[in-house]
Amino acid sequence: MEIRHRGGLPLGRLFQTHGQSLGLEAKTTVFDVNIVEPDLHRPGLALAGFVQVFSHKRVQMVGNTEWCYLDSLSPDQRRESFRRLAPTPSPLWIFTHGNPVHPEIIEEGEAQGATVASCKRPTLELAEHLGEILEEHFAPFATVHASLVDVYGIGLLYVGKSGVGKSEAVLDLVERGHRLVADDVVYLARRGTDIIGTGNELLGQHMEIRGVGIIDVASLFGIRAIRQSKRIEMVVELKIWQEGDSYDRTGLSTYTCNLMGVDVPRTIIPLSPGKNITVIGEVIAMNTLLKLNGKDPARTFNERLIQLMNEKREERARRVARWE
Amino acid sequence: MKNKTTRILKVINRFGLHARPAAMLVETASRFDCEVTLSKDGVSANGKSIMSVMLLAAESGSEVELAAEGPQADGAIEAIDALFQAKFNEDEG
Repeated sequence: MEIRHRGGLPLGRLFQTHGQSLGLEAKTTVFDVNIVEPDLHRPGLALAGFVQVFSHKRVQMVGNTEWCYLDSLSPDQRRESFRRLAPTPSPLWIFTHGNPVHPEIIEEGEAQGATVASCKRPTLELAEHLGEILEEHFAPFATVHASLVDVYGIGLLYVGKSGVGKSEAVLDLVERGHRLVADDVVYLARRGTDIIGTGNELLGQHMEIRGVGIIDVASLFGIRAIRQSKRIEMVVELKIWQEGDSYDRTGLSTYTCNLMGVDVPRTIIPLSPGKNITVIGEVIAMNTLLKLNGKDPARTFNERLIQLMNEKREERARRVARWE
Repeated sequence: MKNKTTRILKVINRFGLHARPAAMLVETASRFDCEVTLSKDGVSANGKSIMSVMLLAAESGSEVELAAEGPQADGAIEAIDALFQAKFNEDEG
């Protein structure tokens, strides 16, 4: 699995796709530059003149503190404070809380080729939303040959060799009311310790069923049968069962599969003719739900068995003691 | 070709035949071409079914009768005996 990173995020695209939801309003031309870092920065010290250490590649958020400082300066000082930063250009300056952007700064931004925008949201709120957008854009991603389906809210990633029946297994689940995220090509992105799977935009929720051809799951089964993205809770590996193969018999051990540096629980389903793997998929999902709710049936059962055997052992010891 | 072997085995691992040892036993038994049966206190269990083996609740110190019938019966008996002797690789805690 090759882990890749996206390049910079063009400012134009940020404004186009997220401008409205973020409440961004450009005060200068939106220059053709890329945001290349996912972090945000408060430029207070740099504006005040300390420019030796300045994370200038980040998006600069001019919050209430910075705005009040700028506002306390004379127009010439304000222009100078901004001009000092020209050698270390930042991709975007956002004045938050809807604070009015001073005309000298707009002029200076236009002259330097630095985009200045205003935002009605408070700084922290903007940081949260914009941070999420940037984090998503810059998250490492990979492509896997697999199928992702949401079963009772649990994301099951079906993997296995070509022709083993991943698509058929997933189609069966969809038919039973579960939701398809992607078939055949799944994009994985790491967000913190979560692995999020999405489909390819072009493929959408189309899938190829051998012998039938390409089908569109949303048209066939309706909108409830599809989902755009889903966190992956379990990797389900379909494997043709062969004489001598061993597999988990108790459910007591936890097997994992490393996806982009995150260990995701993994189950191997041995396939043999006539086996209903759809029901097994549902059971895996429900069992995961039970575990997430703090219940581990395999462990509870085993503890009960061990306790019973302990009692029998103690009784035997007592019997032996009486005879002696 | 009738080939039936039996052997009495003592459970010596600390926790008895719980899920893990039962799984190891069943996995080992399944490798051999023969019927494997375990009996204890008049209850008999299919040696290739984990739920069945666990039902015996064979505690530490008890004895079970192991029977195997089929072409590879001897191999199965030896392999399962070895598991019992090795205390199912259970860590003494």
